[in-house]
Amino acid sequence: MILVPITYKGGVFRHDEILDLIEDMGGYIIQKHMIAQEVVLQALIPRDDIDLLKQVSRPLAGEVIPAPLVGTEIAIVSMSLEIHHLPHASCDVAEYLRTAGAKTNMIGLARGFGKRIGLLSDEERDIINEHDLALYLFGNFETCIREKMPTFRRGIRVPIVVCGGPSQEILMRIIDPPVAGYIGGLGRFMHRTKEPHELALLDEIVREVSRVIDQKRTLLAKDPLSVTPARLMDVILEKVPAIHEVTSPIPVVVQMDGVRVKLPYDPYAAVIRDVEVEQGIRVAEICDIRPSRMRDYILLKVKPFSETGMLV
Amino acid sequence: MSTLEYFEVESTETVGAQLYRRIASTVITDHNLLKVLERLRIWIDPQIPIFIAVGVTRTVPRMITVSDLAGVTYDGQKITLAIADEMYLADLLLVLWKTFGKDQVSQPDRFTIEIQTGVDAATSGIEELAVADPTEGLFKDLIYSMQVICPEGFRIKRQDFDEGKFWFVASENTLPEDVFPLVVEQFRIMGVSP
Repeated sequence: MILVPITYKGGVFRHDEILDLIEDMGGYIIQKHMIAQEVVLQALIPRDDIDLLKQVSRPLAGEVIPAPLVGTEIAIVSMSLEIHHLPHASCDVAEYLRTAGAKTNMIGLARGFGKRIGLLSDEERDIINEHDLALYLFGNFETCIREKMPTFRRGIRVPIVVCGGPSQEILMRIIDPPVAGYIGGLGRFMHRTKEPHELALLDEIVREVSRVIDQKRTLLAKDPLSVTPARLMDVILEKVPAIHEVTSPIPVVVQMDGVRVKLPYDPYAAVIRDVEVEQGIRVAEICDIRPSRMRDYILLKVKPFSETGMLV
Repeated sequence: MSTLEYFEVESTETVGAQLYRRIASTVITDHNLLKVLERLRIWIDPQIPIFIAVGVTRTVPRMITVSDLAGVTYDGQKITLAIADEMYLADLLLVLWKTFGKDQVSQPDRFTIEIQTGVDAATSGIEELAVADPTEGLFKDLIYSMQVICPEGFRIKRQDFDEGKFWFVASENTLPEDVFPLVVEQFRIMGVSP
């Protein structure tokens, strides 16, 4: 069964029917937002059932939109959290990627500014590595990007997409060895992105990030994961009651190859390790469980089939 | 930016200069400095690296004196000030305390200040006493906006403001001992003698 990421937008009225339908299809609801009278669902559903969902949602005035980034956690790396980079550039990009379904975390580096003095600490590096992809928001000068790039890619194992002021061709020329993706013409700016050419650039970011994510999906498909992260999320939500006490809007974040559980590691790691996914198969057998560098969360990375010999 | 007589942002990198022109334009508008600025020139060389901004302000407000913000009446050895503009009242009190001593200055109500001079009040020259320098605030606003415009990594800064002309130089590395020749060069390109 091939699951495809979608966003459903509709009214609150009878939206529980949509929730039931997605569950009955064998799909997973990754995020659910209720904003006033509107419900927004980020979900993974079987490809063959998209038409059925559209059919059922039509009388409810619901809309089913493909959202290529549902089920991914993306690090938006800003060179600092000073007025020079916030709110525009960093927030605009992070917000736009969320509309495409991604769960974005903004990482403001403590000392990321400057071509010579820019640094990436080990904590920042580890946090970036916990994501599916890192989107670097650089400045407007190619000299600076070229000089600081080696420092900022050192130790980063996830695909890097670079945003910067110079054109895409220049970025491709100056960054050696190449990174996974490039977006030119979007460096440092201090105004809200609302002009058509700026929105087109944000669309370009979504396209480029989706392309890199698709490449990673293809790579993962060659040695499939022992359990789908979305299913793992469902199991944790069902079998760990403490997760419902978490006030965070998304207590279990689905990543491409794992989940981030927003429960403290020390008291709950053992509980999660013992959760039964299916008929005698416990989470510990198919996942690496480790403390996340982000607060005190638990990070689960699903082992591939080649390692466990199991497909749940 | 149409109200500026001269506005140029130049750099060794053309694309960077264009993008920084937009940043400068946004910051100046956001900080409400359009009415104040007459000419502005920014030069950025990311290879050195250095950021130089030079500019000319439109009008320089003069020093605020006691007679600008209060009516002065003399009565023997007593001066009575009738406050007309409260904006600089705090500064005025500080100046009066310093000049005449705190025990000689009293404020019976919000708009009245009485001062015992001990000598003939009319000879005290209080009307010309300087209270505040509005250019100081203007200078701070201008330099703050330049700091926002300039790349964040440029942490070493030097600046000056004199007779309606200001300059701001910043770099990521140590600045040369004498940055004035660099500033003079930019003023010259802008067509203004520093």
